Amino acid sequence: MHTVPLVETTNLSFQFGERAVLHGLGLEVPAGSIYGFLGPNGAGKSTTLRLLLGLLRPGGGTVRLFGHELARHRVALLSRVGALIENPSLYDHLTGHENVEATRRLRGLPAARTAAVLAQVGLSASAHRPVKGYSLGMKQRLGLALALLPDPDLLILDEPTNGLDPAGISDLRLLLRQLREEHGKTILLSSHLIGEVEKVATHVGVIQQGRLVFQGSLAALQARQQTQAELVLETACAATCRSLLPALAAAQVVAAGTLRVPFQSREHTAALASALVAAGQPVFSLHCEQPTLEDTFLHLTETATAQ
Amino acid sequence: MNPSVRPSSLPALPPVPGVFVQFGRSLAADALKLRRTAALWLTLASGVLPVLLNFCILYFKGHLMLKPGADGWIKYTSMSWQTAAVLLPLFVVLLTSLVVGVENKAEGWKHLFALPVGRLPVWLSKLLIILGLNALAQLLFVALLLAGGYLLQALRPELHLQQFAPPLRVLGLLLGRTYLATLGIVGVQYVLSKWQQGFVLPVAVGMAGWVAGLTLLRWEHVGWIPYAGPMLTLLSTPFKPVPGMALPTIAPHEWYQLLWFGVSAGLGYVTLRWRNLA
Repeated sequence: MHTVPLVETTNLSFQFGERAVLHGLGLEVPAGSIYGFLGPNGAGKSTTLRLLLGLLRPGGGTVRLFGHELARHRVALLSRVGALIENPSLYDHLTGHENVEATRRLRGLPAARTAAVLAQVGLSASAHRPVKGYSLGMKQRLGLALALLPDPDLLILDEPTNGLDPAGISDLRLLLRQLREEHGKTILLSSHLIGEVEKVATHVGVIQQGRLVFQGSLAALQARQQTQAELVLETACAATCRSLLPALAAAQVVAAGTLRVPFQSREHTAALASALVAAGQPVFSLHCEQPTLEDTFLHLTETATAQ
Repeated sequence: MNPSVRPSSLPALPPVPGVFVQFGRSLAADALKLRRTAALWLTLASGVLPVLLNFCILYFKGHLMLKPGADGWIKYTSMSWQTAAVLLPLFVVLLTSLVVGVENKAEGWKHLFALPVGRLPVWLSKLLIILGLNALAQLLFVALLLAGGYLLQALRPELHLQQFAPPLRVLGLLLGRTYLATLGIVGVQYVLSKWQQGFVLPVAVGMAGWVAGLTLLRWEHVGWIPYAGPMLTLLSTPFKPVPGMALPTIAPHEWYQLLWFGVSAGLGYVTLRWRNLA
């Protein structure tokens, strides 16, 4: 059965004045996923998220949330969405409780939600202190409380770990997992750090210079990472080995005694070692090096830049 | 995925509350945001200065200023209203910038417009808050003015205020018309404060308008300058009855103010409706 993506953009484009920021973006966030929206600074992540919330008007293409067109049903759709865009919008002169209360009134939610979300983000004890005395991490948590206020089906978080200390980041990860696993929420979070996203995401989209260069499950990204594995061979003379064996024609000589060969399979590795020994070449070391997910991410974004 | 192929049954959309419900919610949120703000303190305290200054003048020098048999109430209220009419445009400029500044400072607009509420209710509720604070400040001023007058009467009986009644009809008329005469300033400053995120430019424009309004009072087209409104209203409203002169219900410059208000608030909303917000 085909399920409608909870967030779907079709050929989405946007430009600031003459400068094109997004080019035909086709984002698909499956229901019940934690979708890590990755890209370097300035790639177009925040612009995309603002388009998803109707803060910006697309230059072309459409945005659908829950299968419905955002441009036609903005108010109805946003009642099922909680969002935290860049720095949380907080009123410094009000307490944390009053900040949440202002948004609760605007959304027309039951009064009990204010205390509930403050407890959920661990701010109950500081709720009646003015926000101007809050640390950066506390402000970020309060921003998260505002996003959680309507108990949203879709949570859109732009760089949510900004300002959080390691314990705060860990708590946030736990909260996001709980929201997905226990409450079936869909979470779209942007980040420029793959390491942060891979710990929590089920799906990943990578954007570079306004173009989606990868989209799929985290497993698919990890599979791509495995195809980029290389064998590193330490021998006496790398150039000699390469000229002796046709199997090493594609190898790269990286030092006098070091060759790098694309990894194919375990069997291929064994055959290569036997061939080298049979040709009278010493094999001091032969091991497989797999790029980290971060390398894969950097490779994706660098390739897109080069294009 | 082919966007034209949609599943036959999409999840139902939640009901959208009516515009008035959204407006009420927005107003409730905006009222809460006023707590402990400079805008609220300015509103509550702004009437004190003109009343206090003129109270002191009459308290200490009233015996020199009032001719025998002269109506001290008229002297006291007209002097105070004159001070207020000079200061009022500046007050409205500051008030508008401070109310909008609460949202600008918090970068709150992007948060507001990512909520399930239309742009019109958000735009109107903040405008209504400014209009309400403006009305409250002017009402408080009149209340303080009367209280000060009665205090003066009690403390300085030799000024003979007790022999006259306070000019309530003129004060009431002035209050209503002066309020009208500030609406153009509210409209212009509201739009300026919304689209110019800093505090400086809207206040600078307001001060320039204020100076222009006071300087060009004798110009035949001064009525078109919103910032001259309160002073023009005072000048067209004599405290003492003038034979053959009827008090206007609404003077032409007050109609211009309404026009300024309507055009600015309307254009501001249209811009907000179609403009990108981040």
